[in-house]
Amino acid sequence: MARLLKPFEYFEPRTVEEAVQLLSKYGHQAKVLAGGTDLLISMKKRKITPQYVVYIKSIPELDYIHYSQQAGLKIGALATHTAIADSAIIKDKFELLASACGKVGTPQVRNMGTIGGNICEGGPSQDSVPSLLVLEAKLKLISLHGERIVPIDEFFIAPFKTALQEAELLTEIQIPTPPPRSAGCYKWFTKITTVDESLAGVAVLMLLDSTDGICRDLKIGLCSVAPTPIRARRAEQVLRDKKIDNSLIERAARVAVEETSPRSRADYRKRMTGVLVREAISETWQKIRQLHLRERA
Amino acid sequence: MKQIANFIVNGKACELAIEPHMLLVEVLRDELGLTGTKQSCGIGHCGACTVLIDGIPTLSCLTPALTARGKNITTIEGLAEGTRLHPIQKAFIDYGAIQCGYCTPGMILSAKALLDRNPNPSREQVKQALSGNLCRCTGYVKIVDAVLAAAESMGKEASE
Amino acid sequence: MSQKLSVVGKRIIQPDAAAKATGAAMYASDLKMPGMLIGKVLRSPYPHAKIKRIGKSKAEKLPGVEAVITPEDVTQWKPFDRGLKDLPMIAGGYLVPPDEHILNERARHFGDAIAAVAAINEHIAEEALELIEVEYEELPFVIDPEEAMKPGAPQVSDVAEGNIGKHLSYPFPEGDVEKGFKEADCIVEGTFSTTKQEHCTAETAAAVAHLDVNGRINIWSQCQVAHMARREIAHIFNMPVSKVKLMTPLVGGGFGQRGSVCAEPICIALALKTGKPVKLEYTREENFTALESRTGFKYNLKIGFKQDGTLTAMQVYMLGRLGGYMGCGPMASVIGMVFGLGHYRCPNRAGEADMVMTNTPVSGAFRGFGNPAMMWGIEQLVDEAAEKLGMNPLKIRLKNIKKAGEIANMGLRLESTYLDECIKRGAEAIGWKEKWGKKKEGKMRRGVGIATMTHCSGAAPLYLDHSNAFIKLNEDGSADLTVHPAPLGQHIWGALSQIAAEELGILAEDIHIVTGDTDITLFEYGSDASRSTYAIGSATLIAAHQAKEQILERAAKMLGVSPDELEIKERQVYVKANPKKSIPVADVCYDAIYNFKGECLNISGKCSWEGRWNSSPTGAFFAEVEINTETGRVKVIKFVTAIDCGKAINPMTVEGQLEGGMQQGIGYGLTEDYIINKDTGVVESDNYDTYKMPGILDMPETEVVIIDKPDPKGPFGAKGVGEPGMVGVAPAIANAIYDAIGVRIKDLPITPEKVLKALGEKSQ
Ligand SMILES: Cc1cc2nc3c(=O)[nH]c(=O)nc-3n(C[C@H](O)[C@H](O)[C@H](O)COP(=O)(O)OP(=O)(O)OC[C@H]3O[C@@H](n4cnc5c(N)ncnc54)[C@H](O)[C@@H]3O)c2cc1C
Ligand code: FES
Ligand code: FES
Repeated sequence: MARLLKPFEYFEPRTVEEAVQLLSKYGHQAKVLAGGTDLLISMKKRKITPQYVVYIKSIPELDYIHYSQQAGLKIGALATHTAIADSAIIKDKFELLASACGKVGTPQVRNMGTIGGNICEGGPSQDSVPSLLVLEAKLKLISLHGERIVPIDEFFIAPFKTALQEAELLTEIQIPTPPPRSAGCYKWFTKITTVDESLAGVAVLMLLDSTDGICRDLKIGLCSVAPTPIRARRAEQVLRDKKIDNSLIERAARVAVEETSPRSRADYRKRMTGVLVREAISETWQKIRQLHLRERA
Repeated sequence: MKQIANFIVNGKACELAIEPHMLLVEVLRDELGLTGTKQSCGIGHCGACTVLIDGIPTLSCLTPALTARGKNITTIEGLAEGTRLHPIQKAFIDYGAIQCGYCTPGMILSAKALLDRNPNPSREQVKQALSGNLCRCTGYVKIVDAVLAAAESMGKEASE
Repeated sequence: MSQKLSVVGKRIIQPDAAAKATGAAMYASDLKMPGMLIGKVLRSPYPHAKIKRIGKSKAEKLPGVEAVITPEDVTQWKPFDRGLKDLPMIAGGYLVPPDEHILNERARHFGDAIAAVAAINEHIAEEALELIEVEYEELPFVIDPEEAMKPGAPQVSDVAEGNIGKHLSYPFPEGDVEKGFKEADCIVEGTFSTTKQEHCTAETAAAVAHLDVNGRINIWSQCQVAHMARREIAHIFNMPVSKVKLMTPLVGGGFGQRGSVCAEPICIALALKTGKPVKLEYTREENFTALESRTGFKYNLKIGFKQDGTLTAMQVYMLGRLGGYMGCGPMASVIGMVFGLGHYRCPNRAGEADMVMTNTPVSGAFRGFGNPAMMWGIEQLVDEAAEKLGMNPLKIRLKNIKKAGEIANMGLRLESTYLDECIKRGAEAIGWKEKWGKKKEGKMRRGVGIATMTHCSGAAPLYLDHSNAFIKLNEDGSADLTVHPAPLGQHIWGALSQIAAEELGILAEDIHIVTGDTDITLFEYGSDASRSTYAIGSATLIAAHQAKEQILERAAKMLGVSPDELEIKERQVYVKANPKKSIPVADVCYDAIYNFKGECLNISGKCSWEGRWNSSPTGAFFAEVEINTETGRVKVIKFVTAIDCGKAINPMTVEGQLEGGMQQGIGYGLTEDYIINKDTGVVESDNYDTYKMPGILDMPETEVVIIDKPDPKGPFGAKGVGEPGMVGVAPAIANAIYDAIGVRIKDLPITPEKVLKALGEKSQ
């Protein structure tokens, strides 16, 4: 690997408008640079050698975290993992996302890396994505032709290939407020050491009826166990509208495993997916029961 | 093509003409002669190249220098005041937290960012804050001891 | 030997620490000279390939490129052995016919050096590499040593027929193993394998070379064995040794990897071609593929015991992977056998090793050399035997460890050993009694394990163990100590200062270390084999003693007494019987230099030291682990190292060495895996994203127990402590895993997959 970058022309737009103009002018020869924690490594490895680099972190309008009950959570693409993991509102209402972003890399990487970059990198093991999948996030993409909203589960096409079109910028992640009496969590195993890429990551979001203990809704999002992050929809079905018990959770975990298709360390990843799905559902179930108890008290 | 860039490095304003593809670690080491910032892996994993940008630990090996224009950059050379060492530097020396010393600048800067934010961290919080800095020599034990000792001595200094 | 010590034993701070804490410290990678060029190396993407053609004109035409060199451009220079074994450094040993060139026409491993460039900056140098056109003819290659030994396997080296680089035997065999096994009531045996751990020195390999006005080669080198590197360089470049000046800057970690020549030959070749200063700094990936890393072994080990736990026989056959060049690797097997088979009292011992050439990056020395590999198996089998014999793992060890006065692991007398104390105190610290052998249930299971070891203090009697020290006293009573250890971060300058100051009766800060320049320093074998404090310390002690005698003699005259009536304490020479009568050391030194009475003398001492004995440090390692039986993850909860390193010259440094050893040992045991793709020969783990060493969050609670009892031979009773810290870590973890879940992993590293698989097999 080279230690240095190849020459490129550098732009530092101050508005989204300016940025998308540059992107459309230079087309596939241009690359968006946010925190650079993925892009710069690809450039050093000469996997990508863009001639134009459009640095977007000087666009003030893209770095925010807003929340209201009706509008839900809106995160600017430039919000860093640190900002998200430390955000009081996200920790309170979207804890699974806070813990996913708090898991990414190292303190320095979280200070630099953005959620927009994490999504747009489009790899199989982006840690923020399983949580965003189960929260049914929508992505706001802007280009010269205007703006479109893409549900996140339609965004990932193949490893490192997304629905993002040339000259399009991700500007915002929109997350609806989860219904009351729902809870979720993000669980992961790293590959080898404590700070490491995820070997498997599982996000769960569950809605439980307090009167009859029936699971009204369950969503499971996975990363690192298939070519792209995925929803384990068949596993979700196992529990949906059922009264939860441990054997049902076991079954859901087994079904989730069948939905994965990891390439390397496949057996182990599959097995760990099962363990994580089971733990994530059980933990979420516990959380909701606590919630209900607190409500009653 | 070279562009003019202004930085505040260790409190001093400086103006440099740099190529857009130059990394901050290159500019600091080669252009400004601040070789205390080290490069060890080049891919964001070791933290040897850590500097503070507006007080935030940042990897200079993954930062194009132009993106730090107008910012306050602190390198290891900026910590001591004249011959008066920063309490973290002093603690690293006194506690034997430095062996080969190649990870030390990054470690000390990560520790400084922590103590500036949280003057009274627990052992666990110190470990979390330093988890982006690898060390092959020390086993980290004395490094954690040193940061905790520095926190204590800074606390005392502040209350005096 | 109970001496009252005033400097030795103190936790002094290090002379180089402040420079390192402020960023002022200069490493090879930081050096810059006017007009300096930057070198880069083009490396083979294939494990075995012939270079059919190299087109360099495009690269040469790139503005800013000053030289492009290929194998044909370096033919006037000699091939070499990077492990320096073409020099007579191994006692009664072997010389390796050198067959590595500065650049190679036939690439023998992924990452082998093919061509190099020098350019006015690193950007242009990187671009120039991409412009060099190489036509490779891929050759059949072999990765696995067992495959390499089969008839018809691709031939890696011309000097190693059938790919056997070296067949080596245990140099201290004893008794008759056949007979020993016959006498045994219980025989344990197993096949163990170990990995090609990479050193991960924080600084990558770097060198700066230029030619001075006299045409001498000036080279800043990180080499741990500076003077032998200098001789090797002179040899390669057809120069007298006096025409090479080798300087050692601060080094960002060595751990044995810099025991061979690294970036120096290519860097010098570029400087000679361009006539300009050149800096060559490797990338992290080059460190992984172009330098030596730990020698990986697969071995069959067999140990016999009597019913009461007494050892009757030990036997090993080791198969080691050397890589594309011989490097330092072959001796790793000997070191493994010496310490492994010599560790316990055993009347019948034998060992053989085949060290095999393969198309993989080169193997060499890494902290502990072959010892961690060998202990990996021995300490597990000892536990296995203990279980079969119904003995406690501590007891079986206490029964068999050697006592002072017995013959030690290298045919020398064991001068001192406190391993029994290490075992007892370490066991207490880990809570052995409460924790070991208890019934384990549930998903998370904990266990404790032990491993013991011995190691060396210096290279004698296997390698040349030659050190020199020169000390002179200045007119103010301060002293300049000239020595040439490699400053790798092991705090050696401080330790030598303490030794000299203690002997002279002055303070550690009075000693200035003059070092790092072969024009000034006397011959020094170097910093490896845990020898710097022990061997260079011995030379320092004797040199200081000579100087002290001169001080005493002159002080005696000045005070009107005889020298043996005097002692020196805290910079002052006292009359023992009448401490009121005294004179400052400074005054004695001043009077000696500015004498004007016809008796001028620069008080000084010099010692050429050749180690003739070797005090064995010993240690016991204790791990407590927790295993998640659903995921196979092993977490080390607590780790205790109890060490007998003789007198700790600086306990803070000793702790630092052992804590660092724990990190490397935990990595060796659990996380570090050097992966070579079997189908392509490509190294797949070449940076920290793919090769994982333990970070701060992977480290357990740690404790170091220092026995701190002086050895009769070492300087102020010190023994070596640089390497021992990692030797027993992995087997202690493996034994703890067995205690927790009843399975044995014999194949390093212990991955969750292996743990789960073993658990699965056990439950069937
Ligand atoms: C040491 C280390 C550890 C890491 N660990 C983890 C981990 O544990 N988990 C994990 O998920 N990731 C990890 N990463 C990867 C990386 O840090 C994250 O993916 C990060 O969120 C990327 O964000 P960024 O802002 O740095 O993206 P960049 O590198 O700037 O960009 C990444 C890609 O997205 C594109 N892009 C960025 N922003 C936009 C936008 N707004 N619109 C359109 N395209 C855009 C870029 O063009 C580029 O293709 C790690 C990286 C490192 C160096
Ligand atoms: S050099 Fe920047 S993180 Fe390693
Ligand atoms: S002191 Fe050497 S890497 Fe930390």
